[in-house]
Amino acid sequence: MPVDSGMHDSRYMTVIEIDGMTKSYRGNQVLNGVSLTVERGEIFGIAGPNGAGKTTTVECASGLRERDGGVLRVLGLDPRADRRRLLPRIGVQLQEAALPDAIKVGEALKLYASFYDAPADWRALMEEWGLAERRRISYSSLSGGWKQRLFIALALVGNPEVVFLDELTTGLDPSARRMTWSLIRDIRDRGVTVVLVTHFMDEAEALCDRIAIVDHGRVVTHGTPGELIAQAHTDSLEDAYFALTGGQAA
Amino acid sequence: MKGITQVIAVELKLVVRDPMSAFFALAFPLIMLWVKLRSGKPLPGGLPAVDATVPMLSVFVIGLAALVVLPATMAGYRERRVLKRMRATPAAPGMLFGAQWAAHMLLAVLGTVLLVALGLVAYDLSAPAQPGVVVLAWLLAALSLSAIGLLLGAVVPSGRTATVFGLSLFFPMVFISGAVIPRETMGQGMRALGDLMPMAPAVQAIRGGWEGHAVSPVSLLVLVAITLVAGGLAVKAFRW
Repeated sequence: MPVDSGMHDSRYMTVIEIDGMTKSYRGNQVLNGVSLTVERGEIFGIAGPNGAGKTTTVECASGLRERDGGVLRVLGLDPRADRRRLLPRIGVQLQEAALPDAIKVGEALKLYASFYDAPADWRALMEEWGLAERRRISYSSLSGGWKQRLFIALALVGNPEVVFLDELTTGLDPSARRMTWSLIRDIRDRGVTVVLVTHFMDEAEALCDRIAIVDHGRVVTHGTPGELIAQAHTDSLEDAYFALTGGQAA
Repeated sequence: MKGITQVIAVELKLVVRDPMSAFFALAFPLIMLWVKLRSGKPLPGGLPAVDATVPMLSVFVIGLAALVVLPATMAGYRERRVLKRMRATPAAPGMLFGAQWAAHMLLAVLGTVLLVALGLVAYDLSAPAQPGVVVLAWLLAALSLSAIGLLLGAVVPSGRTATVFGLSLFFPMVFISGAVIPRETMGQGMRALGDLMPMAPAVQAIRGGWEGHAVSPVSLLVLVAITLVAGGLAVKAFRW
């Protein structure tokens, strides 16, 4: 346990503190002692190959899964024990999550807003994210890029202090990806802390203030994109990633 | 219970927008009423067929909404991770259960209203002898059958599996419990078997209230007991 009493001040700059977190599914060790800290107001990237434990880390932090061991604090709360107090303060966009096919954009936002005691103005959010002219379109008729926009808006509808975005741009065309990047910077610029899971190194380099590279269930290295590039003596984060994880470029 | 009216409103819209469930819960029972009343013969004992058939088919509608549509919706949400996304919000499982129940029962209310309206307009349906008893029995029937549907929806992994289980509960049950074939025209053995079904007390109570027979408190208590046991198990077994 940390002895420093200042750690428990709610204004403390550390938003997420993970130390030695472990998790296994049916004897398969997915997290082998993940340790990282996320500071208030940054875009923090979690990068790494498929199966490295990125999604599990985020699902434990957002209260969707229970860790087996280690320290995990989000906004000073334990996502397992203080789930009810934590959920109103975070927003998530999940890999593979869905909405009912026939729900309309406006209905989804209004519905999700009703889950929170102090939601954002869902109509304003709908305008802001360009969804207003699509408010009567059903979820199943939206293209991938617009579905992702809707999921970002749903992640923000509870006025969260932290948002977790998991593989946000997978499956998007290049222009939709670029557009999504600028939307994520907008979220950060409003003071919301963003945790971004990605396996695209160009995305991590362009967006993230700091990055943790995860492999085999632990953090291999972490730092700003510049620090990681310097550490690996390479030209790009992608090259640095392969150098640091010992992987092979395709 | 924050958000519950929103979820009910949205779920009801979604159910009605689904052409299959709208057809089966709203149009299909009307077709059944028309088919069953074409011969126009009164039942043994002289009761006009319409006065038995409308109450019977109202249980058919409840059964369809509660045992087929409701579990398929919930299991489909689990399969497609609609529930997983909701789990990351402050929405409580109890609220989702309540809202799913209410939305599907509103569907059954709509189906019942259409049946009664068609009965009144086309077949000279008599007004219920004890309207209060009919409403109470209808509500208890809706509660008990949807508690079974919620239990199914709480444990079944996919929408398709839920439909298979739901239909295999629903069809034998409606036929032998007297929701499609009047109890008085069924053989002794069939009726005894049907009486073991959770739908049988619902049919008896609603018909009794409509026709003005004394409704056995046992029927109503059985419905309450089914609601409590199946509903309790559903809440315990629920997986996001």
